[in-house]
Amino acid sequence: MAEPPFEQSVFINCPFDPDYDAPLQAILFCIVDLGFVPRLARERSDSAEMRVEKITGLIEASLYSIHDLSRCVAKKRGEHFRLNMPFELGIDWACRRYFGSGREAKRFLILEEKPYRYQAALSDISGCDIQYHAANFQQAVRKVRNWLVSEASIAADGATRILARYTDFQGWYFEKQLAAGFSDEDIKDYETSELLAAMMEWKDAGQPILPG
Amino acid sequence: MAKAGQHVVPNGGKWSVRKAGATRASGTFATQGEAIERARDVAQKQKTELFIHGRDGRIRERNSYGNDPHPPKG
Repeated sequence: MAEPPFEQSVFINCPFDPDYDAPLQAILFCIVDLGFVPRLARERSDSAEMRVEKITGLIEASLYSIHDLSRCVAKKRGEHFRLNMPFELGIDWACRRYFGSGREAKRFLILEEKPYRYQAALSDISGCDIQYHAANFQQAVRKVRNWLVSEASIAADGATRILARYTDFQGWYFEKQLAAGFSDEDIKDYETSELLAAMMEWKDAGQPILPG
Repeated sequence: MAKAGQHVVPNGGKWSVRKAGATRASGTFATQGEAIERARDVAQKQKTELFIHGRDGRIRERNSYGNDPHPPKG
């Protein structure tokens, strides 16, 4: 598959855990709906390539980045908080600052689940514009839509209409998977890479209500 | 021919019923139960699918009241 253009690529740096799957999938839908291409580390499966190499490649190839720092706090006693997301934000920051070749135009959205927590974990970014989504998929779509529309200076439908299309997409996807021999339980696994591919297929097909 | 299904979806703190492809919800309810009741009624009358979404926005249940081309097995 050809590399998507730099100007259309949105690097996604977020938790890859089951609790975050639903907001992530809604965010991916919003990005695809607005005509952009989400870029995730898991899209490149060459096991010989070090993960950090994959990440830096995607960062260099993306004008836009969404960094979600919601896991800056461990959920329970004894659990480690996750350092990958702030680390990747740091790489992206350095890319914009030092890489040159147009990367100084890179644009970031920093997301967090709750206000003010990041200040204790990563005070260096105090003063940056950070948006909160409360782990709510509708809120996450609103934040991502508003930021991307503003940064890319594009005309776009409101978040409510995008969310309505997300509902339509899911109905189409469910029927399509049933027709392909999946059970309800198979479908409700909601594997993110498969869903993302289907989101792009649905948009290319003209957003049909029912599978053809 | 299959028709557009009915969706029960979270809408802020409430629940809406929306026909696939419609620009607006046909009704908004305080509880998911009330929304399901209305959507089931419509789906039965229109002989179509009913999709119930969870708070996370994803479909958690599908019921067919039409000529289900993919009936549950067993």
